[in-house]
Amino acid sequence: MSRKIILWGSVAVLCIYIGIALAAPLIAPLGPTAITGKPLQPPDNRHIFGTNNIGQDIFAQLVYGSRITLLFGFFSALFSVLISTGIGIVIGYYGGLVDEIVCRAIDIFMPIPMFPLLIVLTTFFSPGVIEVSLLMGILGSVYGIRIIRTQVLSLARTNFVEGARAIGASDFQIMYRHILPNVMPIVMVKFVSASQHLLVMGVGLSFIGLWDTSTIDWGTMIQNAYSQGGIALGLWWWILPPGIAVIGISLALAMIGYSFEEKFNPRVEVNRI
Amino acid sequence: MGLIRISGLRVAFSTCSEEIRAVDAVDLDIRSGDSLSLIGESGCGKTVMGMAIMGLLPKNAMISGSIRYGDQEILSAPDRTMQQIRGKEIAMISQNSANALDPVMTIGDQIAEPLLIHRLLPTTEARSETLRLLSALGFDEPETAAGRYPHEFSGGMRERILIALALICNPRLIIADEPTAGLDAQVKSQILRLIKKQIASNRTLFLITHDMGTASFLSTRIAVMYAGELVEAGPTKEVLAMPRHPYTQGLLASLPSAGLHPIPGMSPAPAHLPKGCRFCARCPSATDRCSTLHPPLKETSNTRQVRCFLYD
Amino acid sequence: MISGKYLLRRLCYSGASFFVCITITFFLLHLMPGDYITNYLLSLSNTIPQAAVEQFRHQFGLDLPLTDQYVLYIVNILHGQWGYSYAYGLPVFPMITGKLCWSLILLLPATVLGILIGTVIGAWSGWKSGGKKDLAIFNVMIVIRAIPEFWWAIMAVMVFSFYLRWFPLGGYSSISVLTTGLSIPDVLYHAILPIALMTFFIATGNYYVMRNSMISVIGEDYITTARAKGLDERGILWRHALKNALLPMVTITTFQCAAIIMGNVFIETVFSWPGIGFLTTEALTMRDLPLLEGIFLLDSLLTIASMLLADILSSMIDPRIRMGNDE
Repeated sequence: MSRKIILWGSVAVLCIYIGIALAAPLIAPLGPTAITGKPLQPPDNRHIFGTNNIGQDIFAQLVYGSRITLLFGFFSALFSVLISTGIGIVIGYYGGLVDEIVCRAIDIFMPIPMFPLLIVLTTFFSPGVIEVSLLMGILGSVYGIRIIRTQVLSLARTNFVEGARAIGASDFQIMYRHILPNVMPIVMVKFVSASQHLLVMGVGLSFIGLWDTSTIDWGTMIQNAYSQGGIALGLWWWILPPGIAVIGISLALAMIGYSFEEKFNPRVEVNRI
Repeated sequence: MGLIRISGLRVAFSTCSEEIRAVDAVDLDIRSGDSLSLIGESGCGKTVMGMAIMGLLPKNAMISGSIRYGDQEILSAPDRTMQQIRGKEIAMISQNSANALDPVMTIGDQIAEPLLIHRLLPTTEARSETLRLLSALGFDEPETAAGRYPHEFSGGMRERILIALALICNPRLIIADEPTAGLDAQVKSQILRLIKKQIASNRTLFLITHDMGTASFLSTRIAVMYAGELVEAGPTKEVLAMPRHPYTQGLLASLPSAGLHPIPGMSPAPAHLPKGCRFCARCPSATDRCSTLHPPLKETSNTRQVRCFLYD
Repeated sequence: MISGKYLLRRLCYSGASFFVCITITFFLLHLMPGDYITNYLLSLSNTIPQAAVEQFRHQFGLDLPLTDQYVLYIVNILHGQWGYSYAYGLPVFPMITGKLCWSLILLLPATVLGILIGTVIGAWSGWKSGGKKDLAIFNVMIVIRAIPEFWWAIMAVMVFSFYLRWFPLGGYSSISVLTTGLSIPDVLYHAILPIALMTFFIATGNYYVMRNSMISVIGEDYITTARAKGLDERGILWRHALKNALLPMVTITTFQCAAIIMGNVFIETVFSWPGIGFLTTEALTMRDLPLLEGIFLLDSLLTIASMLLADILSSMIDPRIRMGNDE
């Protein structure tokens, strides 16, 4: 199987997921919260994936739930990348005292474990999905700052930046027009891998009940099925669909991430299928 | 006696889009007791020649031709045979990059390693041989030095360690690839004198360099390489005093002592070699024939060869 | 061996990190709507006599100004007085350390095995990188890592416990414990599946890092030098490549050891294994802030300590860093 096929296949899968999320009302008219059938019904014509313990349509839950899961994954990755790129470019470009201070701060913040801190903070704030994704983005950006900074440090001392300064470009213009495009490849790679990571983590977090358990997303679906005896009773249609959905998008994003990494970082000899 | 006889050596590398002919049908003889320099600019294929003799070309190289060591064919020899020869009979002083030596092994262990690999001496004798060699190469306290790690030494000392590695098994042929690259002038002359004393005087040396000065100091014969092929060969003194090929003339003219006249233009890209003479575009004496026909390497006298239509 | 100055610097940073953690927990605790006391006492009874509230306030120093409270808080933390859980009413520190032992039953074997297996397979895969076997293993690893941990756990329970009935469905002991008491073989039997899963996951992480390390080592010049000496492939692997490839692993595995203590929220939850991870989930469900903060502090302590240890170890092992350079 050629690498291109895998890459384009993954992109196609990604688009399908996004498409389904956007077109939720059209695809799943039954709605995720309405009780539309008898509880724990196996799949049939009306309910493609059967019903859960209350009698809600699992397929509709899956489709509507994708919105929250995907939203969380991409938003937190976006925040993370925006923050780390922004800060990384600024401190890499200016260097000096600003750089020193921020690096020391990072040295202090880096060992702090993100996961339990996230749990503590969300318990305190009781936020919704968007706020959690913002929090996640902030906490996760710390690692990225270092990487971007290293790149920018070498870029900022190059001749063309000196030249741009010599013709009177402002700092902001230089950072935006010259440095940003050059770090874009790394930023892209980070974004894709962060999306995969954070999306899966988001499902996990909702599985352990990080946000309001009445929200319907894939994590709560799995949690619901698991704790209400889905496995013990062998009700595969209740628990499998959300899990497989997560695996699907996770794999697709992982494949895209690896292809990007290979293309932009040929030193890491990854795949040669 | 021909210690190494290279015939029709062709080395090419294939990338996704094109084929790069690094070495193109080269014939070269290295006689026992000779010291031969292979001169050329970066990218002309000379390092590839050295690697080919050692059998260290990467797996994706397409190799054809023949390299005979004595009466043994080594180009196509299996790895096991080559491992017996490397280090023991043919040794290489590799380019002195920052990481040419294992950073987590003491230099004493690294120098003694070839002796142990080829089972020439037991451990204790290997140790004393290492110390003797270190002392001969200019290390004042060989015992202490042997217990140190590569990063604790300067560039010049590391070069001596690389020389020690090559000499320890007393090989018949030593291939030295740019032994003075990156060293400052004083250290460079020390190293060159060291090489002359230890190697060139009683062993066969195959020197690969771009530096005319190094070549004239160390070698008795010179071969000039351009764009993957030999363009001139002959005894050092003769070639330097009366260079025949326009490229060699250009090289000599570009030396600081001669006035720093650079050769205009750039060498052809290895993936797009021109049809006729490869030096044609930069040659001051080029004729129409030069751009369409490829000149063969001809013997102009008993000891000299030139690849140029001017000497037809 | 290591410069004392370097060590001191690192210690200061570690201390600073921990202080940041304590500060965060302090402020969160104090910014909670309502009083710490009210929240705590509420878990005891509905009506709180004012006298009891006053006494409690005084005992915990809540009637002091904020800065004094901060200092008191720090002193308490350092003494192991980490507050009381809302939900259980028990002191946090002994609760957590009690559960830590249970987590360790899973973590110790899983970490050791996982590191060993991951490193060995990673080294082999990196050594043969580009070949068919390496690619096969690499792709398999990507797929394994793309599937979330808790899903692997759920599937494992479903297949091995439910359908095949080889292993129990969860928990740490069977019903028989009511009559016979806690038996070690029984506990171990319950631990096998979670340990296997953890090992699985830890191994994939180590695999990836070791493989990358090996690949970058192979490309180095000293490997070519070794080949030029006439060393055969096995000799190169054992005498040069492995040592250099393992160097970065020391740092990473040390750090990993601490990182996974919390990472197993998922596996412990799925298997209802009474360790810290499970406690986290329960505390989260009950929004028990002091308990969660306690877990956070413990994890911070362990992570910071392990990063410090990793730094020290790597400077001891790598002859290039022995001078104690910065960065």
